[in-house]
Amino acid sequence: MLEIKNLHARVNPEEGEALAILKGVDLKVPAGEVHAIMGPNGCGKSTLSYVLAGHDGYEVTDGALVFEGADIGALAPEERAARGLFLSFQYPVEIPGVPTLTFLKEAANAQRRARGEAEVSAPDFIKLARENAAKLGISSEMLKRPVNVGFSGGEKKRMEIFQALMLAPKFLILDETDSGLDIDALKVVAEGVNALRSPDRGMLVITHYQRLLDYLKPDVVHVMAAGRIVETGGPDLALTLESQGYEKYAGAAA
Amino acid sequence: MTLPVKLSAFEAALAEQLPAGDLRAELEGRGLPHRRVEDWKWSDLRTALARLPAEAGELTLTMSRAPDARRPLMGAPDQIMARLAAALGGQAQVYDLHNGETVTLDASVAAGAGHGAVVVRARDGVHAVVRERYSAAPGAMLNLNVHYAISPRAHLTRIIEQDASPDAVIVVTTTMDLSQRAHAAQTTLGFGAKLARLETNISHGGQGASLEMNGAYLVGEGLHLDQTGIVRHTGPGGTTRELFKGAAAHGGRGVFQGKIHVERAAQKTDAKMNHRGLLLDGRSEIDAKPELEIYADDVVCAHGNALGAMDAAALFYMRQRGLSEPRARALLTRSFLAEPLERLSDEAVREALMARLQTALEGMS
Repeated sequence: MLEIKNLHARVNPEEGEALAILKGVDLKVPAGEVHAIMGPNGCGKSTLSYVLAGHDGYEVTDGALVFEGADIGALAPEERAARGLFLSFQYPVEIPGVPTLTFLKEAANAQRRARGEAEVSAPDFIKLARENAAKLGISSEMLKRPVNVGFSGGEKKRMEIFQALMLAPKFLILDETDSGLDIDALKVVAEGVNALRSPDRGMLVITHYQRLLDYLKPDVVHVMAAGRIVETGGPDLALTLESQGYEKYAGAAA
Repeated sequence: MTLPVKLSAFEAALAEQLPAGDLRAELEGRGLPHRRVEDWKWSDLRTALARLPAEAGELTLTMSRAPDARRPLMGAPDQIMARLAAALGGQAQVYDLHNGETVTLDASVAAGAGHGAVVVRARDGVHAVVRERYSAAPGAMLNLNVHYAISPRAHLTRIIEQDASPDAVIVVTTTMDLSQRAHAAQTTLGFGAKLARLETNISHGGQGASLEMNGAYLVGEGLHLDQTGIVRHTGPGGTTRELFKGAAAHGGRGVFQGKIHVERAAQKTDAKMNHRGLLLDGRSEIDAKPELEIYADDVVCAHGNALGAMDAAALFYMRQRGLSEPRARALLTRSFLAEPLERLSDEAVREALMARLQTALEGMS
């Protein structure tokens, strides 16, 4: 479903020298599978999520991004979103003055228009919002607020998963979705993510710790270090990393 | 001593219409306000008008009802544009507001230079709304002098819409006497002109009087809007709240000059002024000069001013969710500009202004 081939990318600095961060990432996530990427801070995990989403702060210098058989490397972020890529941000952005549901309805309909589908009606959308909010313990008061404004870190993460439920993407990238969550919130968020698991949907879960993976039960775990995938294994690999840390990959930087 | 300036054809035509006297001598001696006059340093009226056809025109005032009186405007303020409007605009239309009424005044000029004057009185205890709208056709100038006299315990709501008027010049000079215990709330939504200047001079009597002055502006390519507001607190215990927010697109220019002057007698004045500007493009410009001048020692006064570009992180976030870049920018701009308009208590008016803003944003993207 998602195939990353020999991906090299660097930061587009506003000034100074470009800094290479991804140095040949190879990864395949078939439909229906959940893959985790673990790795030490600074290994390029978050950069990978931004590059997948099409952030213009990074420049792809080599390799390819293939999604459902098509090269999406040259597409704008909104075009990738319309094809079904969803990024749950590590730091969700506050947008004062734009109510959450207004924003999501605009986003959903923009995606639908881009795919040549009929727009969703307001009553249907609100009904769906109520159902999804209930799953995540989100109050109607929270939905009325501007996007992410005034929410705690944990609430923002919960709203990210709410947005994913509303937009029903084909592929989710979860960037450090567990950071800032206490154990109860982690469970709620994980249940929301698990509700999105389906045979025709893929997921890439980027995390530093293993605890989110206890709930999400990935099919495959990759270890990233110094801008490359350095090891791939089953769910047990996450447990090994949790007990042994990332020291053994420190040499990969060379 | 300075030598008389060389008048443009436009200035010479204006001077010819004036009777001999101080005003004509001043115009012939100094010309119209220009960038070397401190109060006009960002709005070079002289240059903007020099390129307009030098012909007399007519200011059309369309009003929701007939005025209560017409009389020459006496005691015109010292600003030259206001004096020209009074001298060349014929008799002022005088309104004595009835309790509970809404008066609408549409001022426009179709061709040439049109001048006019309006006087609005809100007598003791009267609550009323005045909605003003200004526009000028390409090549035209609108020059209006507006005077408000607000008596004790009166409550005035003033709403101003200034239509985008490319290749035109609009100057509206307002003086407002806000009596003790009176309340005035002014909200402006402006889109600029080749040069538009909305100037408001308020004498604030204090003693429980309160003033709200809010404005939103959006200036597109080739459009310039100058909002200059001078509030002079003359009596003790007055309140002023100002919030102006504006966005300038590619080739647009916003100017905000705000001054709060607190006289020695105006103890316990509580005044706050805030201006925030959004630069939508590397070729947009906003100039701002907020000032406090305080001669009383027991006051609470504050001003804030901030200019910035669109939040890139918010833009990327919205695009990741599927919004096109122009749509994301329009939504962010709209939410930025909504705040001053949201302070309007009348929901229908608030929504009408938001709808105008929305239409303007859609036209830009």
